[in-house]
Amino acid sequence: MRNEINVAFTGNPNCGKTTLFNAYTGANLKVANWPGVTVEKKEGAMRYHDKQYRLVDLPGTYSLTSYTMEERLARQYILDDEVDVIIDVADASALERNLYLTIQLIELGKPVVLALNMMDIVEERGMEIDLHRLPEMLGIPVVPVCARRRTGLNVLMHAVEHHEVKVADRIEHHHTSGSHEHDHHGEYAMVYSDELEDKIDKISELLEIKYPQLENLRWHAIKMLEADEEICGKYPLNLSGIADRSYEEDIINQRYDFIEEIVREVLVNKDEKSRTTDKADQILTHRIWGLPIFFGIMAAVFFLTFTIGDWLKGYFELALEWFSGVATVFLIGVDAGEILSSLIVDGIIAGVGGVLTFLPNIFILFMALALLEDSGYMSRVAYVMDGIMSKIGLSGRAFIPMLLGFGCTVPAVMASRALENRGDRMRTIMVTPFMSCSARLPVYVLLSEMFFGDAALIAAYSMYVIGVVVAIVVAKLLSVFSKGEEEENTLLIELPEYKTPNARTIRIYVWEKIKDYLTKAGTTIFVASIILWALLNFGMSGKVDDMSQSFAAALGRWLAPVMSTAGLGYWQVVVALISGIAAKEVVVSSMSVLYGIGNIASAEGMGALATILQSSGFTAINAYSMMIFCLLYVPCIATIATIRRETNSTGWTLGAVAIQLGTAWLCSTLFYTVATIIF
Amino acid sequence: MKLSDGAVGKSYSVKNIDLSLKVKRRLEILGMTGNASVDVLNSKKSGTKIIKVRGTRFALGKSFAEGIEVEEI
Repeated sequence: MRNEINVAFTGNPNCGKTTLFNAYTGANLKVANWPGVTVEKKEGAMRYHDKQYRLVDLPGTYSLTSYTMEERLARQYILDDEVDVIIDVADASALERNLYLTIQLIELGKPVVLALNMMDIVEERGMEIDLHRLPEMLGIPVVPVCARRRTGLNVLMHAVEHHEVKVADRIEHHHTSGSHEHDHHGEYAMVYSDELEDKIDKISELLEIKYPQLENLRWHAIKMLEADEEICGKYPLNLSGIADRSYEEDIINQRYDFIEEIVREVLVNKDEKSRTTDKADQILTHRIWGLPIFFGIMAAVFFLTFTIGDWLKGYFELALEWFSGVATVFLIGVDAGEILSSLIVDGIIAGVGGVLTFLPNIFILFMALALLEDSGYMSRVAYVMDGIMSKIGLSGRAFIPMLLGFGCTVPAVMASRALENRGDRMRTIMVTPFMSCSARLPVYVLLSEMFFGDAALIAAYSMYVIGVVVAIVVAKLLSVFSKGEEEENTLLIELPEYKTPNARTIRIYVWEKIKDYLTKAGTTIFVASIILWALLNFGMSGKVDDMSQSFAAALGRWLAPVMSTAGLGYWQVVVALISGIAAKEVVVSSMSVLYGIGNIASAEGMGALATILQSSGFTAINAYSMMIFCLLYVPCIATIATIRRETNSTGWTLGAVAIQLGTAWLCSTLFYTVATIIF
Repeated sequence: MKLSDGAVGKSYSVKNIDLSLKVKRRLEILGMTGNASVDVLNSKKSGTKIIKVRGTRFALGKSFAEGIEVEEI
């Protein structure tokens, strides 16, 4: 016997499954991808009563029918021998819909424990659930929990520990008729009509003869009646005379009939009033005010990101300055060579440190996105934006990946997976990188504070607006070339109840993002800083004192003519932009290295850089043009890799890169040309 | 009548779904089976609706709402 018990967490989307999972594992979890696909797989470990448990968080699904990638994954994983116990997390305040998955899970034949989550909301609304009758009817243990308040956690694990013990030997139905020859009321919770039960038994018999090693014949038989492609393909069987059509609709209807029967018996005060959500929705999804409110919320998010973020950034800069000074003194003290000192102070500390000072801005932005998501507002955005999105041939749902793109393009591109239709997905992936991610923020902050003084905030904010407009225009242009059917980009999304965001969930979400950012600073940006430093300090004649003789300068000069139409024909700027393909923050660190500014994010550093730039004819117009270019061109290596993985096509990936570079060059050139004529 | 013509604040009972099989199944799995009751909570000019089925709210695009045949309760 294995000494580790494998527990799988399943449940509908928005049922609080991840909150419950986090309550057990904390931030101590392994995040990886499911093999072959980019769906996130979260795994954690815990001890309970001297036993070791491995917990796996499965993607949220409404059913185990293999329609979407997530559903297929969840089903495959559960069917796999490794799973010992399934914890089915159900939102007790929406029991009726949540029980559909429960019934499918029970039919799989593995031990299932039903965790009734959000019991606090149930109580708040004056509803009551009969916790004695429910397990009797389902034949599995039922444990009330509240993931947010962390109650019932021990009882749930206790039920998991004793998963081999059945609740009731005989399931108590309301009407155990027992007259039919295929009567299964004593054995199974979900019993279909006599007609279907006859067919299930006949198929089971055939399966047993043809595939004697097959476990859980009943489940396979039901899947065959549903004409499930995967199962019918895996175990071909001649069903003529038994099932000449798909009985899926009958099966779904009968399952819901049974659920209605359960709900009638166990739920007291079903006519609940979810006043809070209805009241909030009256305002937030108002047919006129919904849209302005959404834009207001986003404006507030960016305002906080810039103001509070900048205030905190000041302290980070002081720390960096101090550290840089200490490092210089130390390096002189140990008599380090000139080249080594230069590499550490000008290359690594200036590069990595410069990027790290933007951590507060990024922290606040992710915090805001986490709040929007956890409160339940995010899916309302899909409804509010549906009108605008449908004009460009996409469903409102496609706006969620775009909104997440304000945080980081990589998870945003992955989030496009929620779109069922491939054409919609591809177009969303193509335009999501235009949404200004947090890594581009340092570039705007640097350039706008140097050149726009009091209007810096407006200049930076305008980038977000331009990004959205360009995304919409490009999506519209792409839709002209694709022949999408109307049905495919129609909105269908659950609007969960509003809830107070959970501090623990937010903390874990933000910490994961911050960890990514720090890792990037320690790896990609670290390496890019060293490479850039080397390219800048060495030339054909070896180590050069004058940077304009370096390899980087040669490359920059070679490409500068192309960029001069956009007012960016400076070799230093071109080098900074090229290095920005590693990660956008690198543009800032490159500028500091290129112009030899120690602490670029500080007021003195910016002043010094502004003076140098202006003396070479680089004005506010050039700066704004550079901001536009940074907004629109290739976000980073990681994004390109993600697009390649998600589209599974080199053509689409190259197309995306070409569109981004082309759009960036075109828009910045257009701006520069017009602006130089006007001013 | 069609669900897309449903008025905010009224309840309807599902009679028939005339959409592609894939969409029909998705809606059924979410609880929109025959005779299930649907409350219309909100509606936009573009035709998108917020509905409530079996205790859960959904935003439903116009062309889906047009394919759902309902009767007022």
